[in-house]
Amino acid sequence: MAGRSTRVRLVLSVAAALVIVVPLAWLWQASLVGKSYSVTDMGYLDYGGGPAGSHDHGPQGRSVSDIVVSDARKADVRVDLVAAQQNLNIGGRSVPGYTLNGTSPGPTITAHGGQLVEVHLRNASVTAGIALHWHGVDVPAAMDGVAGVTQDEVPIGGEFTYRFVANQIGTYWYHSHQVSNEQVIGGLFGTLVVLPKSAGRDSVDVVAAAHSYTGMKTINGVAGDLKVPAKRGDQVRVRVINTDNGPIESWADTPFKVLAIDGYAVNGPTEVTDRSVTITAGGRADLGVTMPSDGRAVRVQVSKGTAVILGAGDPASPPQPATALDLLSYGNPTALPFDPAQANRRFDYSIGRRPGFVRGIPGLWWSINGHLYPDVPMYVVREGDIVIMHIDNHSGQLHPMHLHGHHAVVLARNGIAATGSPWWIDSLNVLEGETYDIAFVASNPGIWLDHCHHLGHAAQGMVAHLMYEGVTTPYRVGGTAGNRPE
Amino acid sequence: MRTAYRVLAFAIAALVAVQAAAIGYAVFAQLSWIENGGTIDKASIESAPGTSAYIFHALDGGVVLLLALALLVISFFAKIPQGVRWAVIVLVCTIVQIALGTLSHMLSAIGAVHGAVALVLFGVAVMAAMRARKPAPVAEEPVTADVA
Repeated sequence: MAGRSTRVRLVLSVAAALVIVVPLAWLWQASLVGKSYSVTDMGYLDYGGGPAGSHDHGPQGRSVSDIVVSDARKADVRVDLVAAQQNLNIGGRSVPGYTLNGTSPGPTITAHGGQLVEVHLRNASVTAGIALHWHGVDVPAAMDGVAGVTQDEVPIGGEFTYRFVANQIGTYWYHSHQVSNEQVIGGLFGTLVVLPKSAGRDSVDVVAAAHSYTGMKTINGVAGDLKVPAKRGDQVRVRVINTDNGPIESWADTPFKVLAIDGYAVNGPTEVTDRSVTITAGGRADLGVTMPSDGRAVRVQVSKGTAVILGAGDPASPPQPATALDLLSYGNPTALPFDPAQANRRFDYSIGRRPGFVRGIPGLWWSINGHLYPDVPMYVVREGDIVIMHIDNHSGQLHPMHLHGHHAVVLARNGIAATGSPWWIDSLNVLEGETYDIAFVASNPGIWLDHCHHLGHAAQGMVAHLMYEGVTTPYRVGGTAGNRPE
Repeated sequence: MRTAYRVLAFAIAALVAVQAAAIGYAVFAQLSWIENGGTIDKASIESAPGTSAYIFHALDGGVVLLLALALLVISFFAKIPQGVRWAVIVLVCTIVQIALGTLSHMLSAIGAVHGAVALVLFGVAVMAAMRARKPAPVAEEPVTADVA
């Protein structure tokens, strides 16, 4: 009897232990991604109700590396960039970081609409390698600068040439998309301004890239306020670029207009007085100020703690407005270049958070449509499709969602339709509990990241992709090239 | 098995202490940053001093959960009087603690409960470890009793 009860007890113990261990072990092994993998093999295909077609990896498939601007066309703007890993001097402190041509941020690249920009990148000393992504510019797929998806990382001594036509007028930036979380925080980025071909120029044009280096807030890499000469009556455009991982609020002590969001002009902007403008991580806002006729200086607060001072003087910090400008109803509506009602693909991008394993590591992870990385949706489209994406966030935190290679227009937030100027975005601030409906035309074949631009969240697996039918990639994440896009 | 149970239970208690230490460090690192003129907002918090300790705290919480699960598995074989019961108490406490920590982002007051429950978790982990120290009483050995 005794032997039997001991045996029963042992069997029960083993069974109970297996009930705990087996599901955990299964979940753990399912989360492993292998030493190297193609993003096109990740997760599951989501056709958004459109035709499944032939997802062709065969000889008819087009490689992402072939989608380029013709070599025959000569460059109008040529820039050489040399990347290095070195200490930076920020506000009198030496902090580890990265530079482009010896500075962080790197140089501002200026082009005029329609010009071909050619950037020759060389890696002098960045150990982990680099790749440059043109944030907000709908470049040809091979030029998107994502290591392991559109190119291999550029190792020390390596080179890569980016070529794209700057068709979109506006404010953009470029940053590393190799180990991006670490490298962008460390300063591996720069700004890109595309001016109109002619006329319409502002009398004063200011680039203000906001970045925090080891917690120190800066504008264009310098701690403290940025002073810019301006005289009465000047039309000033302040291009605020948020290169951090979280949103900033910008406001001014003088009425201002929001001239553009994410590079795209606002139609019929009106004067803003008691509101701040939320600029999400990776996003940009062009703020327009007319210098007062009494000649006083104007303070444009770029975020808490940093400001652009226009004119002579040192005006006091204006209190932060209690509410942010609602871009859903700002400006005047105008016709869209496509009809969202004709959408033939509808995708869900539902952001949650749940316990589980990612790359074998247990934790509370971000989920996309209930799935954890790498088992996330691969959104499949065909060139010419009209796509609606429904984003909802029930993850407990805000997420700056960034779609590569495309600009989308906001149709509705929390089910309430947009009534203002068409609100074009490449980076969208999605708060906890919010839903957004955005629409875009699939007009730029390639394989594009659709991810959270809190780059720490991206490194934790908040990355999905938009793939055009028939487009393949020869590049792999991991492997001998050491591609680590996030 | 008995030793493994004891080591795991003490390890859980030790990691709970490390959790408290991480938060203590993070709070004062950020307070002193602000007192010395620094600014912290959503945009700059990622690279601000002390934030790495918060990130560590979140990861370490996951490790405690794994150890608590391991403690329960081991308890089935360790033949410690009420060992399974105490392992379950430790596990439930850990799950409650993680849930409270997660919910604190929505309601700060829950954060206060999260801080207090840490002491409870520390206590039950030590209690579990103590149980494994004593040799099993004779009454727990039915084999001996049956033979007699």
